[in-house]
Amino acid sequence: MKLKIATVISFLFCSILLSAQQITVSGTVKEGATGEPAIGVTVLVKGTSNGTVTDMDGNYSLPNVPNDATLVFSYIGMQTLEEPVNGRTTINVTLSEDVQALEEVVVIGYGTARKIDLTGSIASVGEDIISRQPALNPLQSAQGKISGVNIVNNDAPGSAPTVVIRGLGTALGGRDPLYIVDGFPVTDIRNISASDIVSMDVLKDAASASIYGVRAANGVILITTKKGQSGKPKVGVESYVGVKNILNKVQMANAQQYIEHYNQNQSMLATPIQLQNASSQPYNTDWYDELIRPGVVTNNLVSVTGGGENVRYYVSYNYYDEDGLLDNQNYRRSTIRNNNEYSFFDNRLKLNQTLNLSFSNEVKKPFGAFNEAYRQSPLVPVHYNNGKWGRPFVNTTTGIVNYEGAPGDVIGSLNSIGNPVYNVAQNNERESVITLQGGFEGEFKITDFLKVNSRFGGTKYYNKNRQFSDIKDGWLSADPARTEAEFLALKEANPTVTSYAVNSLRLKDIETFRWTWEGFATFNKSFNRHNVEAVLGLSREKYGIGYESTLRGYEVPQKPQYWNLSMVSGDYETEVAQFGYTPTAIASYFGRLQYNFDHRYYISAVLRRDGASTFKQNKDYWGTFPSVGLGWTISQEEFMNDVAFIDHLKLKGTWGELGNHNIPLNVSQILTDPGSANMNYVFGAEQNLVYGARFGTPAMDLSWEVTREWGFGVDYTFMNQRLSGSLDYYNKTNTNAILLINPVLNSTFEGQFYDHGAKVRNAGIEFSIGWSDQLANGLTYEIGANYSYNKNQVLEVRDTYNGAIGGSLADGQISKRLQDGQPLYAWWMFEADGVWQTQEEIDNANAVYGTAQPGQLKYKDQNGDGLIDDRDKIYLGSYLPSSNYAVHLNLEYKNFDFGIDGYGVAGNKVYNGLKYGRINGGENIAYETYRNRWTGAGSTNIHPGPNRAPIASSYYLESGAFFRINNITLGYTFNDLVAQGTSLRLYTTAQNPFMFTKYSGFTPEISSDGNPSLTPGIELSAYPTTRNFLFGINLQF
Amino acid sequence: MKKYFNITFILAGIFLLSSCSDFLDIDSKEKIEAEDSEENYTPEQFVNGIYGMFTDWDYAFSFLAVTEIISDNADKGSSPSDSGADKNLFDELTFTSTAGSLSAMWSRWYKTIGRATQAIEYAESYGLTDEAYKNRLIGESKFLRAVCYFWLVRGWGDVTLQHIDNTNRASKEEVYAFIEQDLTEAMQVLPASYNSANLGRATKGAAHGLLSKVYLYQGKWQQAYDAATAVINSSEYNYSLLDDYSMIWRVEGENSSESLFEIQARGESIAHGVQQYSQTQGARGTTGWGWGFNTPSENLLTAFNDEGDEIRRDATIIFRNSTLYDGYVVGNTENPMYNYKAYSSANKGADDTDKNIRYLRLGEIYLIQAEAANELGRTSEALAALNTIRDRVNLPAVRTTDQAELRRAVWKERRLELAFEHDRWFDLVRTGQAREAMAADNKTFVIGKHELFPIPNQQLIDTPEMTQNPNW
Repeated sequence: MKLKIATVISFLFCSILLSAQQITVSGTVKEGATGEPAIGVTVLVKGTSNGTVTDMDGNYSLPNVPNDATLVFSYIGMQTLEEPVNGRTTINVTLSEDVQALEEVVVIGYGTARKIDLTGSIASVGEDIISRQPALNPLQSAQGKISGVNIVNNDAPGSAPTVVIRGLGTALGGRDPLYIVDGFPVTDIRNISASDIVSMDVLKDAASASIYGVRAANGVILITTKKGQSGKPKVGVESYVGVKNILNKVQMANAQQYIEHYNQNQSMLATPIQLQNASSQPYNTDWYDELIRPGVVTNNLVSVTGGGENVRYYVSYNYYDEDGLLDNQNYRRSTIRNNNEYSFFDNRLKLNQTLNLSFSNEVKKPFGAFNEAYRQSPLVPVHYNNGKWGRPFVNTTTGIVNYEGAPGDVIGSLNSIGNPVYNVAQNNERESVITLQGGFEGEFKITDFLKVNSRFGGTKYYNKNRQFSDIKDGWLSADPARTEAEFLALKEANPTVTSYAVNSLRLKDIETFRWTWEGFATFNKSFNRHNVEAVLGLSREKYGIGYESTLRGYEVPQKPQYWNLSMVSGDYETEVAQFGYTPTAIASYFGRLQYNFDHRYYISAVLRRDGASTFKQNKDYWGTFPSVGLGWTISQEEFMNDVAFIDHLKLKGTWGELGNHNIPLNVSQILTDPGSANMNYVFGAEQNLVYGARFGTPAMDLSWEVTREWGFGVDYTFMNQRLSGSLDYYNKTNTNAILLINPVLNSTFEGQFYDHGAKVRNAGIEFSIGWSDQLANGLTYEIGANYSYNKNQVLEVRDTYNGAIGGSLADGQISKRLQDGQPLYAWWMFEADGVWQTQEEIDNANAVYGTAQPGQLKYKDQNGDGLIDDRDKIYLGSYLPSSNYAVHLNLEYKNFDFGIDGYGVAGNKVYNGLKYGRINGGENIAYETYRNRWTGAGSTNIHPGPNRAPIASSYYLESGAFFRINNITLGYTFNDLVAQGTSLRLYTTAQNPFMFTKYSGFTPEISSDGNPSLTPGIELSAYPTTRNFLFGINLQF
Repeated sequence: MKKYFNITFILAGIFLLSSCSDFLDIDSKEKIEAEDSEENYTPEQFVNGIYGMFTDWDYAFSFLAVTEIISDNADKGSSPSDSGADKNLFDELTFTSTAGSLSAMWSRWYKTIGRATQAIEYAESYGLTDEAYKNRLIGESKFLRAVCYFWLVRGWGDVTLQHIDNTNRASKEEVYAFIEQDLTEAMQVLPASYNSANLGRATKGAAHGLLSKVYLYQGKWQQAYDAATAVINSSEYNYSLLDDYSMIWRVEGENSSESLFEIQARGESIAHGVQQYSQTQGARGTTGWGWGFNTPSENLLTAFNDEGDEIRRDATIIFRNSTLYDGYVVGNTENPMYNYKAYSSANKGADDTDKNIRYLRLGEIYLIQAEAANELGRTSEALAALNTIRDRVNLPAVRTTDQAELRRAVWKERRLELAFEHDRWFDLVRTGQAREAMAADNKTFVIGKHELFPIPNQQLIDTPEMTQNPNW
C-alpha cells in the first residue's frame, strides 16, 4: 500500500515537470439569470493558486495558464463551473444561480422537506461534520454543532453521550431523545457505524416533533444511513489511528507534602501518629502514573456502493477498537451494513432494505479506580518489595508506611482506600453485545401525487456479561500479612459462607426484541401557487420483549476456559435469577398537513394519537398530540425584491403538545424478595428463612407526561448566501412531571411512589450565525458560531411533594433537592462561611454544627435559630448549564483543508467530590489543597485545614464553566490520483487539545447516567476527559 | 390500477377496524399485581413481613443513636471524623428535628405498624377456616404493633394513631390504652409456645411480659406487679433465668428459657439477620471487623467497676487487646471498648449475622417486679426479685428497706443488667434521672425539652398542622 502511494506521488511530480506551454486566458463572466456582468468571480487554474477575480464589467485576464489546464469559475451563490482551456485564449462563461443551499432537504419524519419550507426548528448534521470529528458515536461528533442541543460527552470507551434537547424536562421519566433510524425507533445507536450515516436531523420544537407524539417530549433524532448510488462500484476506505491521554490532570501532593498534611491533621488528635520524612519512607508512588496508560484507538472502514437503474447497493464493514486509559480496558466493535434499493415499474414501486449487524466486545474496568488513585497515599506502594499488593498500612510506632515492624510495633492504617492498580487488575468482566437490526420498506406511487409506504423493521439484541471474582486473591491482597493457610482455615470453619469461597462466577444474559410496522400515504400536489402535502398513517410497535437471567456459581477452576457453571465445586448453592420483561406496545395514528401559498405563507398541522400499554393501571391508554406551525417568508414578498442583500428571511411560530410515555412502572404491587430483605425473616430452631410479603404503596393513576411548547424564530440568509443563521425562542413546559414521592413519614405506606406533582419549564433562546466566502486567491472560508441559553425551573410543586433529595455523596451526605422555583434537583447544602480559627471562637459562636475544631469550615446559620441543621441549607444553583456556545472556523485552500472547533458551557456548578471526602488526613490531596490549607489561626479564612469534616457545603461547589477546543484538523487531498474521480485525503486531528476552566478536578463534564437525582455534576469516579491525537486517511476510488 | 386501489382499501380497512385495546393490554411479568395477590400470598406471609421489618438496616444504625448513643452508656465510637451521618449529634445531645436517625426510626415504626394493620385486615378477609390459626396471626400482628407504639410513645409522648389520623396527635394515655388493648387481645389468642418450625414467633408470654413493662412505664404499679409476677410464676410459660449471664447474648443463649421475645437472625447462607447490626458495632481498625459505632462509655465502665460487677462488665464490653470467649484476639483496635452484646462469633463483620436481638427477657421482668413491688410497699418481694438478679452475677444481696434507696438500687441494677439492650435512654427519662446522668456524662439535658424527641422536621413539612414537642 505504502509503495503505491509513493508511486502515485512521484507520478504527480513528474506530470508537473512535464507541463505544457503557458498562455494568457481572458474573457467575460455573466450571471445566467440576469445576463448582467458577474463581479468578483474567482477564476482559478485548477489545482494551483494561480487565479484572479473578475472586475466591474465581469472581465478577467489570467496569465501563465497551461494550454491543457482547466479553469474553475466560482462565486458564492453561483454554481461552480469548470472549463477546460484546450488552448483557447478567450473563454466567456455564464454562471447559473446556485440554489442548492436553499434547496437543502431535511428529514422530518414520514417524509422530507426543503429546509426553507419548514415552520419548525430542525437542525441537521451531515456526514461532513460527522467525518470531521471521528468518534464511536456520531452524537459525540455533533457536540456544539447544533444550538439548543446539549451533548455531554463521556470519553470512556464504548460509552454513549448524554443528549438533552432544549433543556431537561423530566425528573424521572425517560430522558433520552427518541432515536429513529431509517424510520424505525431504536433504543440506542451504538450499534451503528458513524461512517454509515448520511445525516442526523434533530426535531427540536414541538411542532416538528409532535409527529412522534407520546415519545417526543425529549426531542427526536432522525438518523439516515447511506443508500446505494447508481453507477460503477465506488469503494471508500476510511482509517484512522489515535492516541488518548488525560486532558486535564490534577497535580497531586507529593510524598513530603502528603506527610506534612497528614502530620498536621494527626496533631489535632488525642493520640497522634507522626510520619517520618519522605526520605525515610520506603515507597513513593505516583498513582496516576501507575494507573493510567495512553489509550489507543483504531478505526477501519471499507464501503462499496454502486448499482444500476433497478438495483442500488451500499455495503460496508467497520472495525473499531479502543483501548481505554486503564490496563486492559478495551472496547471493540464490528459492524456490517447492507442497504439495498430496488426499483420496479418505472420507479413506481421502490423497495428499500436495510440491515445492520453489530458485534461488540468490551473488557470493563472499575472507574472507581480514578477516585482511589486520587485518594491513596503516595507512600503506599503498588507492590511491596516482596511482590505483595500495597495497602495503606502504617507502622504507627515508627512512622514508616509499611505493614511490617519490630515485635510490639503497632500497625495501623492511613486510610481505608483500596489499591486502584489491584482493583483494575483483579476486575475480570467482559460483555459482548450482538445487535441485529434491519427493515424493509415498500413505496408505491399510485399517481404522481399520491404514494403509499409500508415498512416493517426490528431489532434483536443479545447481551452477555461474564464476571469472575477471585475471592481468595481479594482476601489475601487486602493484607500482605495474610496467608493462604489462614484463608483455608476460615473456609473450613465457615463451609457455607460464600465470602470464603475461592472464587465466584456470574453470568448474565439479556435478550430483547422490538418490532415496528408502519403504513402511511402521502399526497403531494401543487396547483397554481398552492402547494399541499398531506400524510396519513398508522403504526404498531412492541418493544422490550425479552428476558434477563443472572446465574452465580462458586468455585469454578481458575482458568477462563473452564468458566462454566457446570464446573462449580458444588459446596455452595448456585444462585439463579431469571425474569421476563414486561413489553411495551404502542399503537398510533398520525396525520400531517402542510400547505403554503407561493412559498410565502405557510401553515402546517400535525395530529398524532398514541396508545401505550404503559398506562394499563387506569386503562387510559390513549393520548392525542396536536401541533401547528406558521411561517411567513418575507423575502418572497414583492416589496422585498428591491432589498438585494436579503436572500431569504422567514418568520416562524409554532405551538405543540408532546408526550413522554417512558414513565416508571406503576402497578400496585405485593412485594417479595428472594434474598435478605426486610420482609423476610427466620423462624424455628434451625432458623430457616421464611419469605414474607408486604403491600407496596398503592400506585397512583399515572399518565404520560405532557409537554406543551410554543416558540417563534427567524431564519435568515443574507448577502448572496454569505451570511446565514437563525434565532429562536422557545418555552417548553412539562405540565405534569412525575416525581418520586416519599409517603408521609407516619403513614401506612412505606415505599416511595410516583405521582404527577410539578411542572418543569425550560425556556430559552437559540442563536446561530455563519459567514462563508471565497477569496480571490482561492481560499474559501467559513466561520460560524452558535449560542443557546436555557432556564430550567421546577414550578407548582404539589404540597408535600417538595423536597425530594438526591445527589448522594455515598457517605450519608446528600447534595441536591427538588424544590419549587429551583432548577431540577438544584444543589442544596450548607453555605461555607469561613474557617474556625481558634477554639475560643468556636466556644463563643452562636451556632456551631456538631463539635467543630479549629481549621474546620463554619456554616452559615441561615435562619438564625442558633442551630445548624437541614433548615440552614440553601439552594446553590444547578449542575445544568444555562449557556452552551460553540464557534468554528473552516478553511480550504487548494487541496488543503483546515478546521477548528470550540465548545463551551457556562452557568453550571460542579461538586468536586474528589476534593471532598471522608478525609481523615490519611487520604491524598491535590497540591492546591495542600498549598492553600489552613495551618493555624490567621492563615486563611477560606480553606479548611487537614482535619476537615466531611459535610457537604458550598466550599466544594465550583463553577463548571469551561471552553474547550474540541477539534483541530488539518487535511490534504490528492485528487484524480490514478484515475478520474479518485481521491485520497490524509488528515491529522487533535481532539480536545485545550480546555479552559477554573474547575479544579479532572473534568467538569459529568453526566453519569443523566438522572438528575443521582450523581450528574458530582465528580466522584468519573472517567476523565481525554485529549486525542488522530491520524487518518480517506480513500475513494 | 385496480391493484393499487386494493392496497388503499386494505390500508383503510386496517385504520378503521383494528382494535387496539387488546394490543395494548399487556400484563406485568416482573411484579405480581396486587389484584393477583390472593392466589399467590397467604396471610402468614404478610405477618412474616412485619417480623422482617425488625431486621431492617435502621435497627443497626439509627436505632443505636436514639436508644444508646444518646444515653450515658454509650459513645458514638468509630473515628472522630466519621459522624455516621448524625450519630455525633446524639452523642453530644445536640441533635435537632432534622436528624436523620430520628426520622428514620419514627418512620420505621409507623411503617411497621402499617404492615401489622394491613396483615390483620388481610388475615381477616382472606377466608381462613382455621379460627385459631387466623387469630394467632392477628395476635402476632397486634403484638408487633404494640412493640412499635411503645417505642413511639416513649420517644415522642403524644403521637398519632395511624388507624385514626396522620395529623392529630393522640394523647399519651390514648396511645398507651391502644397498646394495652393490642397486648391484651394478643394474649388471649397467642399460644404459650410454638412447634419447632415456628420458634421465634410472638407468644402469649411475650405479650404478657411486655404488658408488665408497658404498665411500669405508666407507673401503673399494681398492674405492672401483677403482670410481672404472673409471668415469673407461670407454669404455662415456664421461663427461667440462665445460670450464666454471659451466655444470654451468645448463640447458645438464643431463644433460651430466659427469653420472652427476640428478633431472630441467621448468619450462614441462606442468611438473614438484622442488617449489619454486628458490623456497625464491630471493632474498628486493622484488626477489627466492623465500623466501631456505639461503644461503651467510660461512665458505664466506671458504673460496672464501682459495683464490682465483673461478670456483667465482661459480658457487655469488648476491651482493646483482649481475647474473646471464642479465642479471637481483638488486637489494637481504634476504640478502647466495643459492644460485646452485638458480637457474632461466626459472622463478625458480615452484613447478615446470627445475632438475635434480645428484646425482652425474664431478667428484666424480675426487675419490673422488684420496682413495682417496692412502689407498692412490698419491700421483701422487691428485695427478693432484685437479689435473684444480683445473685446470678455473684453480687452481694441488697438489704435496704428504705423505699427511695431501694428504688435507686433497682434503677442501678436495670442499668447494669440491661446495658446495650436499647432501653437506657427511656429508663433515664422515665425515672427522672436523665438530667443528672447527662451532666455526669458532660452533656446538657434541658428539662422540659429533652424528655421527648422532636417530631421530625420532614413530618412537620408533610403535615404542617401537627404540633411540635415543647421547646424544640
